[in-house]
Amino acid sequence: MLSLPLLKQSIRSNAVMWGSITGVMTLLCIQFSMLDMTRSLLFTIFYGMMTTILPGIYVLVTANKLLASQVDRGSMAYVLSTPIKRSAVTFTQAFYLTGSLILMFGIQTLAHLAANAANPIAMSTLGYTMLQGDLTSKMIMQVNLSALMVCIALAAVCFMFSGIFNSSKYAVGLSGAFVGVSVLANMLAMFGKLGVEGLKNFKYLTICSFYDYQSVLFANNDWIEKMIYPALIALAAFAAGSLVFRRKEMSL
Amino acid sequence: MIEVNKLTHDYGHGRGVFDVSFTVDKGETLGFLGPNGAGKSTTMRHLMGFTKPQKGEVKINGLDCSQEYDKVMRSVGYLPGEVALPEGLNGRQFIKMMQGLRKSRNDERVEYLLDKFRLDPGGSVKKMSIGEKRKLAVVTAFMDDPDILLLDEPTSGLDPLMQEVFIDFIREEKQRGKTILLSSHIFSEVEALCDRIAIIKEGRLVSTVDAAEIKHGLHNIMTVEFDDPKDFAEFGRSELEFRLRDRSSLKCSVVVDDEDINKFISLVRKFRIRSFAEHSVTLEEYFMHFYKNERTFGGVLNA
Repeated sequence: MLSLPLLKQSIRSNAVMWGSITGVMTLLCIQFSMLDMTRSLLFTIFYGMMTTILPGIYVLVTANKLLASQVDRGSMAYVLSTPIKRSAVTFTQAFYLTGSLILMFGIQTLAHLAANAANPIAMSTLGYTMLQGDLTSKMIMQVNLSALMVCIALAAVCFMFSGIFNSSKYAVGLSGAFVGVSVLANMLAMFGKLGVEGLKNFKYLTICSFYDYQSVLFANNDWIEKMIYPALIALAAFAAGSLVFRRKEMSL
Repeated sequence: MIEVNKLTHDYGHGRGVFDVSFTVDKGETLGFLGPNGAGKSTTMRHLMGFTKPQKGEVKINGLDCSQEYDKVMRSVGYLPGEVALPEGLNGRQFIKMMQGLRKSRNDERVEYLLDKFRLDPGGSVKKMSIGEKRKLAVVTAFMDDPDILLLDEPTSGLDPLMQEVFIDFIREEKQRGKTILLSSHIFSEVEALCDRIAIIKEGRLVSTVDAAEIKHGLHNIMTVEFDDPKDFAEFGRSELEFRLRDRSSLKCSVVVDDEDINKFISLVRKFRIRSFAEHSVTLEEYFMHFYKNERTFGGVLNA
């Protein structure tokens, strides 16, 4: 199912985007967890917004480049002029998209673990005065896992649009609207959580609500349950995108 | 080897292909001639399995092109009309990628082709000229030495020297027994390479002719100029297929088939003639004859 030559090409052609987003995310994470000025905002700003906005931009651009843009530009003709099944194309590209996100979060998690080990942060500084002790490595991994799952769902939806449309314009348009609304509604919902009553309902508008770092910090298991939904969304969207791509008329 | 049977795909506004049928036998080269937008590429895209026929069927080696495209591609080399190569690669990496996808490791042939077309695959694909990209596409289409070749306007973007190299190269491939479908709107290249020529117009096949017939001349046109208006008038009354009868210059042009030449000569000998000229109908003229009328899209003239 997996086509190595195609995977290599996907890695090569998306390396710059992946590298810069991963770099920015990792550096921001280190900054927020090390510098006294920003430490208290580690969760509200960094884990609250950056871990969905930055990967969101990445998946929006990359998912389009993996399928729709190649059909639009015509370069998919070269790939499909070889004895490769369309299903192998979608599988490889979905594998790349998911794998690159896992690697992105892996690197940023490792960086945070190292930073946190060097300079542990007390829960009380994060604004959770009722919580005792320091932020643990386990919590860091759990928070990132929860964020990763939601980002994979965002990626899958973008991938679905990329598989459905023959033109970048529609794939990017719809993916952009989806990612944009998800990320923005998530930010507004956060203000709702912080006390702005009128913004509370925005949490129902975004799949980012399935990413629940508070539940991790409070050591209850809500976040695990909440991962089921984005996982299902991801599976359904990857399947839908692949299915349409396999059967559609291609404007090559 | 290649079978297109009643292929129909209507894209609306008169675009598409309608009831197109032809076959290309093993070892044969079929030229697919037609202007832009006539349906050449659309037919190719069906053969490649990018699009499914609305009606009819398209087969290569007995396999349905829209269902078993992956198996079909094992024996097909395709040169797309577009030269949009995958992003983020240099020429060498692109060749490696295509080798990987084709599961072929015929490096010797790659070098032979690079040398033949004088291509340095080192640089970034993005910075290559259209001609260089085309050459790169040629190398990847031929490197696996496939039995069947689908070439969509293969020489567009190549300089005249390279066009010649390419045409020589295809001649070699023909001699090696390859089955070739070549689409083009360039008469000379079709005339030079093809055994048979199919002419497509507005999505319909209008004519299929043997190249040998065309090379010999489809029919001859004789132009006779008279001295005496009386001769002109009498000649004008004979039962011939006239293209032109010009009273002021006393010139007549007549279409004469090969078998009627002797009859025609003996008729002409009866008159006093000032000049006599003969020329054969070339493929270009034959082709133009099918294309003279302009086409319209939904009432809008497509200039």
